[in-house]
This record gives sequence, structure tokens and C-alpha cells, in this order.
Amino acid sequence: MSSVNAQWRSLEELMQDPDFVSRVEQEFPMLGAALSAPRDRRQALTLMAASLALAGAGLSGCDGAPEGHLIPAVRMPSGVVPGMPDYYSSAHVEGGYAAGTVVKHFMGRPIKVEGNPFHPASLGATSPIAQAELLDFYDPRRAWGMTQANLPRSRSALEQALGEQRDKLAATGGAGFVILTGASTSPTLAAQFDALRKSYPQIRWLHWEAVGRENAEKGVALAYGGRFELKPLLQDADVILAIDSDLLSAAPGHLRLAREFAARRNPTRAKMNRLYAIEATPSLTGAVADERFIAGPRETRRILLALAAALLGGAPVEGPPWLDRIVSDLRANRGRAFIHLGPDHAPQAHALVLAMNEALGGRQAVYTLLDAVTHASSDDSLSLASLVTDMRAGQVSSLLIIDSNPVYAAPGALNFAEALGRVEFSLCLSATPNETTAAALWAAPMIHPWEGWSDARAFDGTASVMQPQALPLYQGVEPYHVLGLLLRPDPPPALDLVRQTWNDRLGGAVGDAWIDALAQGVIPNSASPVSNRPLRDDAARAALPEPSSAATILLFRPDPYLLDGRYADNPWLQELPRPLSKISWGNPLLISPRRARELSLANGDVVRITLDGAHVTTPIVITPGQSDDCVVALLGFGRRHAGPVGRNIGVDFFELMGRSCAAPDIQKTGATEELAGTQHHAAMFDESGVYARSGALSQFLADPGFVRRSDEPQPSFYEWKPEGPAAWGMSIDLNACIGCGACVVACQAENNIPVVGKAEVLREREMYWLRIDRYYDGPPESPKVNFQPVLCMHCEEAPCEPVCPVGATMHDAEGLNVMVYNRCIGTRFCSNNCPYKVRRFNYFDFAGEERRAIESRNPEVTVRARGVMEKCTFCLQRIAAARIVADRDGETASAVVTACEAACPTQAFTFGDLAAKGSEVAARRAGPLSYALLADQNTKPRVTYEAHIFNVDKPEETQK
Amino acid sequence: MTLFQARSTLAVSADSRRPNANDPIVAPEQTISTMTAKICAPPLQERWPLWWKLSLGAALFLVLILVISIGWLFYAGIGIWGIDWPVVWGFAIINYVWWIAIASGGTFISALFYLAEVEWRNALNRLAETITIFAAACAAIYPVLHLGRPWLFYWLFPYPNVMTLWPQFRSPLLWDFVAILTYVVSSILFWYFGLVPDLATMRDKAVAPHKRRFYGVLALGFRGSESAWRYYHVGYGLLAALMAPLVISVHSIVGLDFAGAATLGWHSTLFPPFFVFGALLSGFAAVMLLAVPARRLLGLEDFITGRHFDILGKLLLTSSLCVGYAYLMEAFTNFYGPDAAEKRLFANKITGELSPIYWATILFNVLTPQLMWLRRVRLNEIFVVLISIAVIVGMWCERYVIVVMSLRRTHLPSAWGGYTPTIWDWLTLFGAVGLFIAGLLIAIRLLPAISMFEMREVILRNARRDR
Amino acid sequence: MGSVFRPAANLWASLALLLLSLTLVAFSLLVWFWPHGDAARGVNWAPAQPVPFSHQHHVSGLGIDCRYCHTAVEVSTNAGMPPTYTCMSCHSQIWTNAALLEPVRNSLKDDRPLAWRRITDVPDFVYFDHSIHIAKGVGCSSCHGDVADMALTYKAKSLTMQFCLDCHRDPGPRLQPKDKIYDTRWRRDATTPAPDVLLAQYGVPERNLTDCSICHR
Repeated sequence: MSSVNAQWRSLEELMQDPDFVSRVEQEFPMLGAALSAPRDRRQALTLMAASLALAGAGLSGCDGAPEGHLIPAVRMPSGVVPGMPDYYSSAHVEGGYAAGTVVKHFMGRPIKVEGNPFHPASLGATSPIAQAELLDFYDPRRAWGMTQANLPRSRSALEQALGEQRDKLAATGGAGFVILTGASTSPTLAAQFDALRKSYPQIRWLHWEAVGRENAEKGVALAYGGRFELKPLLQDADVILAIDSDLLSAAPGHLRLAREFAARRNPTRAKMNRLYAIEATPSLTGAVADERFIAGPRETRRILLALAAALLGGAPVEGPPWLDRIVSDLRANRGRAFIHLGPDHAPQAHALVLAMNEALGGRQAVYTLLDAVTHASSDDSLSLASLVTDMRAGQVSSLLIIDSNPVYAAPGALNFAEALGRVEFSLCLSATPNETTAAALWAAPMIHPWEGWSDARAFDGTASVMQPQALPLYQGVEPYHVLGLLLRPDPPPALDLVRQTWNDRLGGAVGDAWIDALAQGVIPNSASPVSNRPLRDDAARAALPEPSSAATILLFRPDPYLLDGRYADNPWLQELPRPLSKISWGNPLLISPRRARELSLANGDVVRITLDGAHVTTPIVITPGQSDDCVVALLGFGRRHAGPVGRNIGVDFFELMGRSCAAPDIQKTGATEELAGTQHHAAMFDESGVYARSGALSQFLADPGFVRRSDEPQPSFYEWKPEGPAAWGMSIDLNACIGCGACVVACQAENNIPVVGKAEVLREREMYWLRIDRYYDGPPESPKVNFQPVLCMHCEEAPCEPVCPVGATMHDAEGLNVMVYNRCIGTRFCSNNCPYKVRRFNYFDFAGEERRAIESRNPEVTVRARGVMEKCTFCLQRIAAARIVADRDGETASAVVTACEAACPTQAFTFGDLAAKGSEVAARRAGPLSYALLADQNTKPRVTYEAHIFNVDKPEETQK
Repeated sequence: MTLFQARSTLAVSADSRRPNANDPIVAPEQTISTMTAKICAPPLQERWPLWWKLSLGAALFLVLILVISIGWLFYAGIGIWGIDWPVVWGFAIINYVWWIAIASGGTFISALFYLAEVEWRNALNRLAETITIFAAACAAIYPVLHLGRPWLFYWLFPYPNVMTLWPQFRSPLLWDFVAILTYVVSSILFWYFGLVPDLATMRDKAVAPHKRRFYGVLALGFRGSESAWRYYHVGYGLLAALMAPLVISVHSIVGLDFAGAATLGWHSTLFPPFFVFGALLSGFAAVMLLAVPARRLLGLEDFITGRHFDILGKLLLTSSLCVGYAYLMEAFTNFYGPDAAEKRLFANKITGELSPIYWATILFNVLTPQLMWLRRVRLNEIFVVLISIAVIVGMWCERYVIVVMSLRRTHLPSAWGGYTPTIWDWLTLFGAVGLFIAGLLIAIRLLPAISMFEMREVILRNARRDR
Repeated sequence: MGSVFRPAANLWASLALLLLSLTLVAFSLLVWFWPHGDAARGVNWAPAQPVPFSHQHHVSGLGIDCRYCHTAVEVSTNAGMPPTYTCMSCHSQIWTNAALLEPVRNSLKDDRPLAWRRITDVPDFVYFDHSIHIAKGVGCSSCHGDVADMALTYKAKSLTMQFCLDCHRDPGPRLQPKDKIYDTRWRRDATTPAPDVLLAQYGVPERNLTDCSICHR
């Protein structure tokens, strides 16, 4: 643990180092200036522009005397080696649940987020959002300062105001004081809330998420009579039935669940599980299901009842014909079958499903019940609706909103903003100014999670202490400090509070336990205990509420990347193509092909949706595989009070939320809007047979090599032989890929890939080195989906190489197809000649025009200039680092892990040395399912794929 | 001096200006002296008519537009064009191929037919060569504008440098660079060399001292002595012998820019000859197109006669048949060949959303020229002009089909894209047209539009024959 | 009418042609040779530094090892510049009030770093790693020149791509014995092991050191 200790000690010193701020100013010139002028965002931006000019200069300055200065620190903090990266553990918190991360630093500047292999919810993987958190950390909009009634105030003024609140609390005993915050698993926060309640018995708090899971929680409460956490154990599940489920994309611990699911998907390596999906609108879970069935809300209810009847006994209910097959399959696999229901269904439905799971006898085997991980609101009766009523009734005198944006994200029907006006004291803590800070009386910038001490728990309860990655860049306020001020004038620092919380487990002083906990990013055996609370017998009799009888039902879903809009200002997440629609920078209404035909709508046609007088106008996108009786609105867009990136991008559907469940009126306006799709050709059918290959398990069992039958070996005059000590290659398992997009953002972060913006995406100039192609198989109404990550294939006979007139792209001895940016003159012939079209061209100075802090870039990768071609390098910088260490210290090269491989939750990517003995990638390459993309082009790609096998018996269901 | 005596009557009636079936190569009434006087006259005139001033003004305006759009291009980057992913080549390449093909006509007529000792070419070669150099100049700017970092174009030169790097000689673009350079340089040389005796004539005919100096300097002291002529003819022959293969090579190599790639729709051994055919077609079309105004406006009806139109028309017809053959072969090889993606692409070309462009190509380059079977059409200046224009437009469409439509539909359907030219694409195209026209106008203003010394040979030969 | 030109014109014409061709030749020669010259690369260029630091005095005079200040050179891509504290570790004892050292003391006092002018630099798209070169027997002087004799530090080598490649193509003759790496005065002499001996001794890998990917990413 020596390196670990070094990490910690250096951090400790950083924390106590009075020079640190000055170091910040030296090393973050832009940020330093921002510190001195915190309120002027514009100035911060101009300063960034200045630093960006430097970034743009990435390829200039070849000749003559060098410019610039060497600026050493006044005092070098020990442990920081100039030019070498450091790593500090942290965690990415989503809906309260933590997924462990490790943040990579250069000279004290965070530049990259990796997953934390020790953390149960990460296992080394990250979500796209966790990767993109980097940009939020550097977001100059965080430098905005305190405001009262939107006028700048000093920090002391705020503390004084909070002092008055303290006196008031003491007087009233907390009556009329409400704290509104997002879902939380932080024991330290919980402790603080309890402390507050001890001093002010009447104080109330509400944990509220715009797209929360309270349905599921209430369902558990109904079924087991208490607050519990359901933890699926997918690695042992042979049959999974997912109903409107987000099991693999958003459910708590989804990274781990995806890993466990994928571990059972490749028939060459494991006994395949089988996934049935029943859903109204296509989800990632449905996309990778062996069999997917479309059912609108009403039919789903009938299906649930039919299932209940079949599994729990009772009067049989007529379900769709295919349901019997599922039921018998579930029955046949008692104890190894698991049913998962999405968070949008009513608590009663969840209770029913829990009862079915008990009936299937999978408890402890394929799922367990844990004591609740999230912190409860002060009382169960408190909900956002009831809070708003109280606010209107004037029963709420003070409202403290922490890291939540109800003015934007509360159901439009509630009209939260108006209610907020009636609260006499309101304070909103938020990282960046948003709709709520504008409406609240007081607003203050909250620190970024990387700037303070805190803790959070994973879906299974495992806790992590989150350490600061840097001192606050923009004078943010710690939530703990604000809450502490409500208790006493001189609240203890967050570090003390966190230490207090873990006192018994880690010891009060800084000992090895504490250090290891920080180094590993997890607190050992802190997981929630397994509960053996029995199912309440009335759970099976839960009566499902009648769904709307409307002809068309408007469903709301969180955008996969912006969630409830909190990430709308993050350019990486805005531009990341949505997994299925492949659309970026917008949230068109999802509508089924048949409905579109009925309403004579084409992609991009603008419609006007009216519901109870409220209306929005939005473009539509036709979504294969969606139920005809519903249209789906993605939340999180149309932010009115966001930064230059997210403001007025897309449509705000919260407006229509919470209205009656009558049928929305959809009228074609005649206008059209271009959709910024990255798969420019409309949905592609019947193509994947050749490219993203797939087949049925029965086919595989009959003829394991069947996917390769089509391409016979090509004759060649000469074979390329690896001369170097290594022969790098990659194998991508299409069975594992769930299309989540984590690899794409990881690649973007690692390789300084610029964001080009909506206009340029519309002009088909996005810059992704790694893209995920999406092919449809079968009828547009209910197609099969095949995802295929495509990156530079590093062909041994690379067509791009011979056509470059200046030799800017060459082969190296280890089989890498290297692109030398500074030699490139931009003829773009290489791109013409690339059959896979993985090369991207800088039509403008995209990197220079990016609104991005230069400090956030990866110093190990060239920032490409205007007029230069670029492409995937197999993370050459990582290979080079390993190579240098190996040569220098005489060890054998440590395993190189590419950014995409590291981020992938399902381990779809395997990168390595084909020449090395016992190399995993070589083994996968030799596997029966392995095939080369466009093998007939005779390019001999170093990247191969493993064909997608569906666990079905009848080929025609997956293959044409 | 019998030869120099004027021959029969000089009654030139209006309608005899129209091209005629049995026109001789040069009107019989023309003697050397009348011919020389007639051809020298326009450049030596003090004042030029309005049509010239106006058209020059218009052309210069287009040149201004070209300069502006190039300036903006260098400042903002080639993102101002419509090129995207996957269509990374666009107008720049289309225009380049188009211009270089137009340029070819001159070289064919003046070099190839010189070697073949064809008499009629003497009246046209000056005009044709002038077209060549200005078209080639227009073509030459595009490959540089096309680059993402144009200021580094010199990296294509194999010059010794501190990077110890050479250009990559396997790349067709490098061959192309060399071929174009050679072609442009030698075209200019050939053109100027052919001018020298006429410049001497001008020097002697000119009265105003400044003009005499001007032509005198350009004439490089050519005095028409016996030895001078002997060397001159050898040199001219050698240059012609050099040019003839060059015109073939340059277009084959332009063809190889495409055939050398593995790209769908390009990867075909057909391309080199195909591009030579295309060059012939557009070259002849350009010469024919400009012969009409030249003879009318400069009063050269006696030297560019029906005979010329007859022959040019037949040449145009022939080359259009060759091009038609190439189109046919392209279709055939696609369907005969094994590559499904190639078939899919070709199907998209002929039936897809951009198929009108493909069919326009067929219509303008293959069908329209068939009218030239009729002598009446060949001799009708209106038809000649219209057909030539059709061919030149058609050839541009052909390049659009080859470049854009091929790149739009590559192997992976996931990488299919579209292409929309921007205003800057169009301005760069029209600007170059202005450059071309301005060049021609200035040339005819200063230089004899017909090679006088070669016309003399024709007239002398006719005279001998008559005796 | 008289002739246009006087006989002298012939002379002028030929002279003009001659001159033209000469200028062309001269120009191309310039373009060819200029980049190879030191002037183009600012060799021997010694900018004014905040403190006129003398390597000669500290290294030759006092015998301080390179690594005392450039601490990271063996473990990092970056050799590392000494923080003010390093300077003050001695200069808090000696020359405590020398006027020359005013900037150093101020740096510590006001907590403002010293800003040294950069002398040896490669373009941003070149990724040079100090540690591997040191480990493989490439001495400081190979790129920095005889620093130990520099009263004021100046740029000693051109650092062109050619300069790098000369060594990457044939490292052997330039390798230094392990104990001589930091000796900037070292020259190959009779006692020096043969190139291939050194190559073997350092185990310079069989990898192709002229691959683009060795330096460019």
C-alpha cells in the first residue's frame, strides 16, 4: 500500500498547504482569475478563450527559439512528480447511489475519470455521465457568487441571514422550516438531519428526485412493510423477465447489473441466460433482450394480471399468446428466474411483481432484500405535492433547497415557482445558476462534489468516503456548512463530520484504516445487511390501479444522459448520440411508425401537444419498436435558465407533467426541424446481417462457426508480419455491448476529442473516434437491434496509408496505424479510402472553439489543429507509457487498457498484445464467433468482433 | 513575287460568313499579306469595342469574387464548404478535374494534329492553346485550395528538409501533383514558343513605339532568318512531340487519383482511359464553343471556316461515342463484378435521389452530341454553341457523380451521408470561370488570335497546289 | 522605319536572363540550407533570466549533481525545475543578501514562482520522455550540450527532427557509460566501450525507434 500512502499523504499536505491556493492560481491561470472575479461569468469565459488559444496552438510553433516560460512551484507538494499522473478515489453519485470512481490528475489538475475496480457498483466501469463530470467540475459558470433577490451579496451576508434562521428555528422549534434535497445515501448528511431534528423537533426535510424511484420503494414497502433495497444477483439468473425495465441502464447499480448480465451472454464462454423484455418504448434492456415484446401501458397491466394469475394462482386472466411461453420458461427455471419492473409502474404493480419473485423462489439466489440504503424524508406523508400545498397555505416560512431544481423539474401542474414566491425565506444551493436559483430569495454556489469531503453509499449499501480532488475553484459553499450554520454559528468542517460518521469503523485519527478506505474508495464491509423479512401475504392481492383509457398515453422518460436536466450544460452529454435514436442536441417526441403514418408525420415534423390547456411544440422522431398507443417524451431538455450549452436546447416536457391522464391532443404544425442525428442515413434495416452479425443459439450449437461461413479467406501476395515486440489488437464482443455510450465519452475525454455543436453535427462533422453503429433487423414495427462499436481497425493492410501524399499516416512495428497530425496537410484521401469511415477531419478549429478549460485536457495527447485528419490511436499514449516503464525498469509491459475498454460496464472490449502468450484478445480472436468487419476488403483488421447470439431456438426470430 | 498578287474578287457577302459545307480551310481570296493584316489588326487597334470592355468588366468582377472567397477560405478554414463526413471531397476536386479536362483540347489540336501534319489545325491552335493555359491555370488552383492546411502544400515537393521526410511516392496525389505541374509548365512553354514568330510580326507591324517595344521584348529578337526558322521548326516539333504524350499521361493520372483508391465507385481500371475520353470531349467542346465568337467578333470568318466546324463536330461526336462506351463499360463491370456494395452504389446512382444528375450526364455527354451526325447541325453556329455548352455542363455533372455520389454511399450503411454545397462552393466555381474568361479576353486583346506564320504555310501550300 | 532596339539590347537581354537564373538558384539554395543552420533554430541563444543562474558555477564549481535540482529526470517525462525552496535550501545560509538573489527571496516571500525563460523545447506534438533516455544511456549533454560549462544557459543543439532521428537511427555511438550520464563534459574516448557493447548493456530494445509512434501521439 506504499503508493496508496503516498497518495494520501500528498493529499493531506495539499489540504493543509497554505500555498495551495497560490498554486491553483499558477496552475489554473483561468481559474485563478475566476477566483479574483467570481461573479463575472463573461470574464471567466473570455479568460478561458485566452487559454483556449493556447490549446489551439497544439500543432504550431515548430521552428525557431522556443517561447514561453518554465514556472516551477514555490514549494513542490511531496508526491506530485512533474509530468506524472496521480490518482485519487472518488465516487459518482446518481439519484443518491454512488458508483466508485478514480480521478486522474496531472500536476493537481483532474483530467480523467476512471471506474474504481474495488467498488461494488463500478467494478472498474463508469457511466457516460461519470466520465462527463469532468467538464462540470471545470464549468466556469460555477463562478457566480451569492445572490439575494438576484443581486450580488457577500458570503458573510448569507451567513448572517442563516444566523437569523437559526434564531427563528430555535424559537419555533423548526415549524415551517423545510429542507428540500435530492435522494441521498450519505450517512453524514443523515446524521446532520438527525442532529437538526434533535434540536428542532418540527423541522422537516424532503428527499425528492424529478425522476425518482419512489414507486419501487413504495412497492417494497407494500410488499414487505418497511424500507428495503432490492438487490438483483443477475449472474445466477437463467431467465430474466424485464417489464418496462431500466435494469441495465439506470437502475441502482446498473453498471454492476450490466456486467453480471453480460457475463452470461457469450455462449463460447458461459451458459447463456435468457432475457425477455416487455416494454412500451425501446430501452437498452429491450434492445439486448433475446425476445422483446411490445405492450402499451394498458396491455402491460393485463399482462401483469395474467402473470400474477399464472404464478400466484387465482382466476386465470387472458394474456397475449406469447405470454404462456414466458410463464412456462419462468416456471421451468424456479429459483433461477427473476422479474424486474420499471420505476414508472404503480407501487401496487411492484408489490405484485415482488410477490411473483417470491413465488418463483429466487430470493437469496437471484435477488436479495437489503436494509434501505437511501435516507428517508422526515415523514412519509411529505411529498412534493403536499409541500407545494403547504407552501401555498403559507405553512412553510423557510425553504432550503440543496442541489435540486424544482422550479424546472417539478411537474408543470404544481407550478412550483409560484408557490416558492409565497415562502418568506428561501435559499437555493446549486453548483450553477438555474431556474430555482433565479426564483429563490437567496442563492449560493454549491461546491462540486470533487471540492469537499463527503460520503455516499452504493446500491448495496457499501459506503465510500469522497475526498476533495481540489480546493474549491470558485468559492463554493459546502452544503454541510449551510446545514451546520442552522445548528451553531461555527459549524465544524465537513472533514470532521465525515470522520465522526465513520469514527467507529475507521477510527477517529488518520490511521491505516482511514487511508485504505480512501485509497480503495470503499469502506470495507459497510454493505447493508441482508434482511430476511418475509413477504406480507396481502402483497399478492395488491390491486393494480386502472390505467388511463385514453387512445394515446403520454409517457415521460428521463433522457439517458441529461437525466432530469441537471447535465444539460454538459457538452459531452448533449452531443453524445442517444443509443437508439442516434440523435444528439435535442429530444424529439418518440412516436411509433404506425402512429406516424396515421398522423402523416415524418422525422423532424413539428407537432403541438396539448394536455389540459398546457401545450408544447416539439419535433417528432419515428421510433421502431414502440407501442402504438403511447408517445414518449424525454425529460431534461428545454432548460430556460441554463448555460450557453444547454439553454433552450430541445423541449421542456415537465410542463405537461402531473396533468390529467387524458389523451394529449397532437396536431401537426407543418413546420419541420432538423434532427441532429449522427447516423445520417435513416434507420437501417436488413443490413446488419453482414456487418453486425447475429444468430440464434440453436444455429450456434448446430454450427459454431456459422457466422464466418460467408467470407472465405482472401488470397494475398504477402502477409504482414509483426516486427515489433508486440502486436496490438482488439476484440469486441457484440454479445456484451448494450450500446450505453460510456466508451464514446471515455474516448472523448481521454483523447481531447472536441465537441462540434448542433450546427456542425447537422453538417455531418461530428468528431467521435469511436462510434456505436445501430442496425435494425426485421420489420420497422418491432425490429431487433444490433449495436456495433466501430473504431479504427488498425488494418494490417491499411488502405489509408498508401494514398497519403505526405506519409502522415503510417504503420508502426507493433501494428498500429499511426496518424501523425503535424505531418497532415489535409488532403482527406485517407478518409475516402477507409472502408470503415473511422477518420474524422477538423473542418474548423473545433478544439480551439470549444468552450473548455485548457487545464481539463489530457496533456498526453496532441490537441489537433484546423485542417488535420484524426482517428483512434488505440490510446497510443497509454501504450507508450507502458512501453517506457517496461523498457526503463526492465519489466515486461504491464497490460495496456484503452479508455473505451476501461469504461465499458460489460467488458465488451478486449485489448491486448496478440503476440503475447496466453493473451485474452488472441484467444477471443480465435473463437468461433469472431469475424472481421468487411473482411472481403482484405484489409486484415486488427479489430475483430464476436457475433451477437440470441438465446432463442428459432433462427427466423433473429435472422432474415 | 507572283504569290503575293491578290487573287480574284474580294466580294464578301453577309451570308457567306455563315459556315458552309464546301468551305476551304482558308478563304481562297486571302493572300499572305491580307491574312497578316487582318489578324494583326485587332491587337494593334487603339480602341476596342464595347462588348469587349463589358465582358472584361464582368469577368474581372467574377475574379474579385474568387479572390474574396479564397481569402475567406484561408481565414475560416475549408469548413465553409459543404464537404462533410463521409463526403470529404467536393467541389474543389470536381472543378479541378473539370478544368483540366477542358484544358486538354488545346494540346490535342495544336500538338497531336501538328505531328499528324493536319492543315486545318493551324487556324485553331492559337485559340486552343490559349484555352489550355487558362483552363489549366484554373485547374491548378483547386488542389491547393482543397487542402486542409494549404500553406503546407509544398510538402508535396521532394525537397531535402530537416524532418528528413520525403513525400510518399505511392500516393496518386503525388503523381497528380507532378503531372499537373509538368503539364501547366510545358503548355505555357509550348504556347509562348508558338507565339514568338507572330510576336516578331507584330513588332514589325506595330507603329506606336511602346507597342513595338512591347512586342519586341516578347519576340526575343526573332528576326525570321533562315537559320532561326530552321532551329525554330526543330524546337517546335520537339515541344509538340513532348506535349502529345503529356496530355494522355496527365489525364490518365487524374483518372488514377480515383482508380488508385479502394473507394466504392472509383476502384476501377476503366478510369484512366475514361478520363482521357472525357478530356477529349470537353476539350473539343470548349474549342468549338469559343471558335464561334472568335471568328464572329474578330472577323476571322475567312480562316475559321465551315470546314473547321465540320471536322470539330466529327471529333466531338467521336469522343462522345468513346465516353458513351466508357459509361457502358462502367455499368457492365459493376453488374458483372462480384462486389455487392458496388452494385448497390451504382443502383443508387441511376435510381437514387440524385439520379437526375447521372441521367443529365448521359443526356449531355452522350445523347446530345449525336446531333452532330447531321452536317447541318455541325455547320450551324447556334447548334454548335448549344451542344458545346451542354457537353461542358455534362462533364461537370459527370465529375459530381463520380466524386460526391460515390462517397455518399460507402461500404458501411452506418457511414452513409449527404452532401450540400454551400454558397462558397458555388462562388469558387464561378469565380474561376471569370478568371478563365478574363484571361482569354486579355489574350486576344494583346496577341494575334490565329497563328499567322502557320497560316502562311497553309496559304503557300494552297498556292502551290493551285499552280 | 528604324529597328526597335539598339544592339546593346542583346547584352541587356542576356544579362537579365542570367540574373534571373542566378536569383532562382540562390533562392533555392537558401531555402535548402537555411533550416539546417543554427540561426534558424536559435542555437547558442541565451535569453535574460530572472536570475543570471550559472550552471558553470553550481555544477563545475560546486559540483552539485544535475538531479539535485532536476529531481524528476529519472522517473518522469519531465526533468523538473527546482521549486524556490530548493534554491533557498542553500541560499538561506549563503549569499543571503546578495542583490542577484533578490528575485529568489521575493519569490519565497510573496509566494510568487520564478518564471524562467524556456530554452530547450520541442513542439507540443513531440512527446519526449527524460526518464527513458537517461535509463538507456543518453546523457544530458546529448541534447543540452555541455551545461556544466555554461555561465549563462544557452540552447546548445538544434533539436530538429533530423537531430532526433540521427540518434534514433543509430543510438550506439552516442550512448554513454552509466556513470557518465550526468557528466556533460564526457566525450567518447579509447576507454569507452564499443557502441554495440553499450547497446547490449543498456538492452536498447529491438523496437523500431524510428516509428512515428515513438515520439508522436
